[in-house]
Amino acid sequence: MNNYIEKNILPLVTKPITYLGNEVNSVHKTPNADMIRFAFAFPDTYEVGMSHLGMKILYGLLNEEKDIWCERVFAPWVDMEEQLINNDLTLYGLESMMPLNEYDFVGFTLQYEMSFSNILNMLKLGHIVLAAADRKEGDPFVIAGGPCAYNPEPLADFIDFFVIGEGEEVILKIMEAYRQWKKTSGKRMDFLKTVAGIEGVYVPSLYNVSYDEATGVIVSFLPIVDEAPTIVRKQFIDDLDSSYFPEKIVVSFTETVHDRVSFEIFRGCGRGCRFCQAGMIYRPTREKTVPTIQSKIRALIEATGYDEISLSSLSTGDYSKIETLIKNLVEEYEDQKVSISLPSLRIDSLSIDMLEEIQKVRKAGLTLAPEAGTQRMRDVINKGVTEENLLDTVRTAFEKGWGHVKLYFMIGLPGETYEDIEGIADLGQKTVDEYMQIDKELRNKSLKVVLSASSFVPKAFTPFQWMGQNTREEFKNKQRYLKAAIKDRKISYSWHDSGVSFLEAVFARGDRRLGKVLKRAHEKGCRFDGWGEYFDIEKWTEAFAETGIDPDFYALRNRGYDEILPWDFIDTGVKKSFLKAEAIKAQEALTTPYCPENCSNCGIMEFKEGWQCHV
Amino acid sequence: MSKIQYRFKRSTALRFLSHLDQQRLFQRAFRRANINIEYSHGFNPHPKMSFALAMSVGLTSDWEYGEVIVSGELDCNDFMTRMNAVLPNGLEIISAKVCDEGTPSLSSLLEKSYYSLKVKLVPEINFERTNQIIESYLELPVINIQKRNKKGKMVEKDIRPFIESISVCQEDIKNDLINVKMTLVYIEQQCVKPELILESINNLNRAIFIIDPTIECHRHKLLLKADF
Repeated sequence: MNNYIEKNILPLVTKPITYLGNEVNSVHKTPNADMIRFAFAFPDTYEVGMSHLGMKILYGLLNEEKDIWCERVFAPWVDMEEQLINNDLTLYGLESMMPLNEYDFVGFTLQYEMSFSNILNMLKLGHIVLAAADRKEGDPFVIAGGPCAYNPEPLADFIDFFVIGEGEEVILKIMEAYRQWKKTSGKRMDFLKTVAGIEGVYVPSLYNVSYDEATGVIVSFLPIVDEAPTIVRKQFIDDLDSSYFPEKIVVSFTETVHDRVSFEIFRGCGRGCRFCQAGMIYRPTREKTVPTIQSKIRALIEATGYDEISLSSLSTGDYSKIETLIKNLVEEYEDQKVSISLPSLRIDSLSIDMLEEIQKVRKAGLTLAPEAGTQRMRDVINKGVTEENLLDTVRTAFEKGWGHVKLYFMIGLPGETYEDIEGIADLGQKTVDEYMQIDKELRNKSLKVVLSASSFVPKAFTPFQWMGQNTREEFKNKQRYLKAAIKDRKISYSWHDSGVSFLEAVFARGDRRLGKVLKRAHEKGCRFDGWGEYFDIEKWTEAFAETGIDPDFYALRNRGYDEILPWDFIDTGVKKSFLKAEAIKAQEALTTPYCPENCSNCGIMEFKEGWQCHV
Repeated sequence: MSKIQYRFKRSTALRFLSHLDQQRLFQRAFRRANINIEYSHGFNPHPKMSFALAMSVGLTSDWEYGEVIVSGELDCNDFMTRMNAVLPNGLEIISAKVCDEGTPSLSSLLEKSYYSLKVKLVPEINFERTNQIIESYLELPVINIQKRNKKGKMVEKDIRPFIESISVCQEDIKNDLINVKMTLVYIEQQCVKPELILESINNLNRAIFIIDPTIECHRHKLLLKADF
């Protein structure tokens, strides 16, 4: 198959090199009958998937095991999909080019809801039975993890089991269980029951959900076998500093979204922004030490030859020794022309001087995320930055010669008024005013302020998980209002929402009944929903209508605090009572302090014996 | 600081690299090989490295040239060994030499390119007929083709001066596969793509070659005006 595809198929598609799996540091093994074959599946394109950190960690970790070969598979682009179908070929794992249905495991990472249709499409192209219930002995186990696994229910029909939380430790337990199970010539169901007993694993087929006939809300959600726990506890690693991180990562030939060494310096975030799911589910905050970070980065640069290091985390400026780390890295790499970038910077957390330090090599635009236009609204979402913070930052940036500033906002936040929308435009104007006050000799010759406002999607395990999303009509009106409120031509504003955020809201807080809709939409040809040119809201609307499911029930309805939510069976360590208290504080625009300043008892401290935050 | 010119080959495993992919690949390989290279000064520094030719996606080649300015002194055998240890399967450095700073750029030295293309014939055409068609094609004093210029406008271009020779031999009788060998000449660093020549043969006669992206195109040799 290998040679046939290389000669006859790949010349016909775009970016053929991304379908060969022969990149620098890709892992190739000689298979034998006992080898566990694992296909790590990313339900989006190669360029997007290859930028994903979790895949790099698990790929390295699994391949450290002699008897496991972990390979990669991505959603083939539409031209490759067409070739596979027309030539009756099966989607394959890149390294060995083995058909997907011959693997022991196909493991999907769930990064965003809009990739769900791609999962179904990849299963179909991989000739794997869609419904988990219909899979036979010998078929692969289709598993999934990642942030969207915190509400796994919409995918319950298609996934054999989920891993909730950080996968580094639990995946090895699952592999060990598989080795043992293979020796026993046990049945598929036996293995599922065994893994259900591993902490952090959720096997949806072992639970029964019933609904209230009149209102449609869940009335019970219970395991049907003894092996399955009533509550599934998320997994997290206590000691991040000594946890596994690969010394080698695959270097793509083509340009990927994040084409650099992306190094995680800490996990979790204690800011407590109320809209942010990552900030809640990745608790507690755990840091790596400066020496570990430096030595691992050194090894990675040597192994990859990359010329850029990105220090990744949820809020990089909050790393306790950020200044030391940056100083050390700049010193080490300046001569080698390796640049350092800091994604996810808070406005108040890092001085512009520091930014200037790292941007000696290349000076890019400045991106800041005030998230909301007025102080009241920023207090509602507990963003914890002030207008003064923002204006101080942009003023310094303009003095240092920056001329391009991008500001990120959300609209449709709880309790939002038109005054808050107008605040977004005002903040843009005040940014322009700051520039105007700078000496003409000092400042950049041209100024561009970009306001970007996305439609807010309430997520599970956040204080806003009970809140109904704004309707599409409300979003449109607010966007129009904002556009009209912008007067200065130096401010540009673009907005586009074709209904994606509505669909995202449906799946982010959906239940397992949505499986029918997903299947229907897949049959209608939906995939690449996150790609504007392929997203077709009409098809989705039809899929809802034909399956008799009301999307508004999931996206727009305000839910009661006592309602059983589809994800309530998962314990993230952050208590539901804490989320509720935060929701109530939000209504009064009361803020909650940053974790290191004062513990707000979210629950994570009691979640795991022996765990202590900030020691 | 010294300038190193090297010859390399690219085989099937990496034939789908784009020119940009290959540039990035070499840049990273230099870093992995711990070879420090010079950068341009200015707002957006870029590494001082280049290739004699941009290789198109799909092309394999036994004979390509690249050059790079390295910091400090570097022995060319050392350069080769270190590079070949880090280059992925599919790219290999064949030879390298350190040259004077005044050495002209590789692209200004281009003289001839020797290609071999494996092409399928349309069913009604046989090998002998192909031979005749090519012979009469080469007798044409002027061969004008329509080509898009840099501004996107269609212009007429005579490609005959770029063609030194074309010959065919049978590659695989069962699959009607023939091997078209071409020697093409560079004039002021300009040449013509071999696929375009096949297309113009098709256009001037009736279609004889099946032209699609699965044609295998290989460069045997690249001749420079100076000895290498």
